[in-house]
This record gives sequence, structure tokens and C-alpha cells, in this order.
Amino acid sequence: MASDDLYDELTDIFRDVFDDDDIVLSDDMTAADVDDWDSLSHIRLIVAVEQHYGVSFTATEIAALENVGQFASLIRQKLGA
Amino acid sequence: MKWEDFTEGTEVATEFRIASADMDAFERLSGDSNPLHTDAEFARTLGFEDRVVYGALIIARISEMIGMKLPGTGGVWSSLRIDFRDPLYIDEAAELRGTVTHRSEAVKMLTLRLRVEAGGRRIATGTAETVWRADD
Repeated sequence: MASDDLYDELTDIFRDVFDDDDIVLSDDMTAADVDDWDSLSHIRLIVAVEQHYGVSFTATEIAALENVGQFASLIRQKLGA
Repeated sequence: MKWEDFTEGTEVATEFRIASADMDAFERLSGDSNPLHTDAEFARTLGFEDRVVYGALIIARISEMIGMKLPGTGGVWSSLRIDFRDPLYIDEAAELRGTVTHRSEAVKMLTLRLRVEAGGRRIATGTAETVWRADD
């Protein structure tokens, strides 16, 4: 999957989870950059990505993420892309 | 129950009936005196066979399932989406079935598919999410 395709899909997932059609993702984006990125939204985001791509994450993998770019890299790694 | 006890496909079913006294109690509690739920004659004018059970009383049975069984006291219910597809009538035997469709190890969330049936009719369908908070 091309990087742009992944970001397009991730953008749709973020917009759905946070109910905000104005979200534009960037590699260095963090929870502090998105309104309503609270603990429950965080859980829903992880679950939505798992369900969309059919992958599973571990708590350690998620805890180590520092920004959206690292999350995208983890997804690519899971997909073998 | 422990987190490890739940896997995708884990299923719980429970049978229930909503009694007239339950309807009266919910009317008092909620203030919802819509005659669809309180007046059989009115309900028939809308094309129903009898008074229609409050959807919230079906949700009450979902609450019992999630709070006590799936996953029970280790979980915190965080979302519900439900479609009411066919009326449930008072004293009608119904079955609620909950199935785990997704189990996230990373964030300890279970996604559940919910289905309520009565008399061969699909009464309600939906999904719920619950977050496991207990230390196993």
C-alpha cells in the first residue's frame, strides 16, 4: 500500500472516530493537536484501525508510539508493506 | 471472569419477558407516557398489535448482560448503537444474544454484536463496546 493511500484511509478513520471532518494528518501530529483526543477516543482509534486493517497491536506497541507517523509505520509493518 | 476468558466468538444468550409492571415502573421513572406504550387502543391505531415495549427496557436487558456477564464486573460499558426493527410486546418471550466480534489486546476493548429476537422476529440489532478495567 502506498504511503498516500494509507494516510487517506487513516484520515477517514480519524475523522470518523473524532467526528471532525477537518482533521488533516501529519507525521508529527500528536494527541495534543486533536480536540477530544481523550483516553476513550484513543481506545476507539486503536480498535477502529485494528478492525479496518484486520491487524492486532500489543499494549507495548501502542504505548511506544509518539506521533501519527510512528503509528502509520507500525500499521505498514503489520501489513508487511 | 478474566480478560483471557473472552475471545472473538464468545457468546452469551439470555431470555427475558417485559411485564406490564415493568412498563408502569419505566413510565414513572422516565416520564415517557407516549400512548404507544401505555394505551393498547392507541397503539392499534398506529398498526401495532398491542402496547409496544419501551426500547429502553430492551436496553436495560442489554445493560444486565454487559454488566453481569459479557464481560461482567471487570468491564466498563462505553458505547451502544441499536436499531429497533420490530415491536416487542408485553409478556412476549424474547432472547438477547451477545457475541464478541473483536477483542483488542492492545487497549482491552471488546466489541459486541447484539441481537434480540422474539417469536421468530428480529426485534433489535446493534453493537456495543466495553473496556476491560480489572486487574487480572
